[in-house]
Amino acid sequence: MSARVILVTGGNGGLGQAIARAFLNESPENIVWLGVRNKRNLADALAAEFPGRCQCIELDVTKSEAWRATIDKIVHTHQRIDVLVNNAGRHADSLVANLPRESWDDVLASNLDGTFFGCQSVLPTMVVQKHGRIINISSLSALLAPAGQANYAAAKAGVIALTQSLAKEVARIGITVNAVCPGYIETEALASLPHDKRSVAFNRIPMRRFGRPEEVACAVRFLACPEAGYITGSVLKIDGGIL
Amino acid sequence: MENGSELRARLKTLMVDNLMLQVTANEIGDDQPLFGPGSIGLDSVDALQLVVALDKHFGLKVPDQSAAKEILQSVNSMARAIEAAGKG
Repeated sequence: MSARVILVTGGNGGLGQAIARAFLNESPENIVWLGVRNKRNLADALAAEFPGRCQCIELDVTKSEAWRATIDKIVHTHQRIDVLVNNAGRHADSLVANLPRESWDDVLASNLDGTFFGCQSVLPTMVVQKHGRIINISSLSALLAPAGQANYAAAKAGVIALTQSLAKEVARIGITVNAVCPGYIETEALASLPHDKRSVAFNRIPMRRFGRPEEVACAVRFLACPEAGYITGSVLKIDGGIL
Repeated sequence: MENGSELRARLKTLMVDNLMLQVTANEIGDDQPLFGPGSIGLDSVDALQLVVALDKHFGLKVPDQSAAKEILQSVNSMARAIEAAGKG
């Protein structure tokens, strides 16, 4: 497999770290950029582990101008970008009756606007290349729409619709766009759940275990590989059999 | 700076190559509409590719939809825009 240039947003999170590591381990020629915002200690550590092949870049995914600067820098450095993984996002759970407007806006902005800006920013380069892979991290919440996650579920469902619509637009240009829907994965978000909620979640999983970030990363890496060239507009759930 | 007919020929070749058209460059008329009835049958995805190709090959920026509507009417309209911008 030839060298590829990959941007993973949310590079300091557990999922982002696993995805980046999967690409770094895939080929010694792969170059990975980690989009980071407030926290970057883990991303910096990963970059230090792979000097010259992994670096962090400040990126507020909710700002289109930040995206433009990021993609300009990557393309200026490597003259290409092969893979974009839109992984950044946050959640702020609450029942709709109590959901503050700012939580609605913030979750929609980080998950949906961020994915939109990311897709839009890489398109000019990928169109010229006539090649590109975009993998958007959605969530099982988009399909389950659980109570208390209206903002997050709506945003992630929007990510799926965006993925499928864009996939049709750019299919004949050689760009694939797919979504991944992780279920309960052992990340910071799951760790932050109270014990009783973790137990409820656990009991819903037919495999009777939480997923590992590496298992999501593996699926992302597959969707980005040349052999997955005929897969586009797909929504791949990784949930231990919940749905 | 290439002359007008060379520029138009180059644009037609670029379209056939980039948009995978089922016609040859010679079959595209200078004033033939690119979109709509009687056109060579381009669609919005082709327009996206054309905008990117004009920038890449000629340095011509198509900043918004109204400019795109103006410039992407025909080979002639594209050539005029390139010439007006001194990019040909």
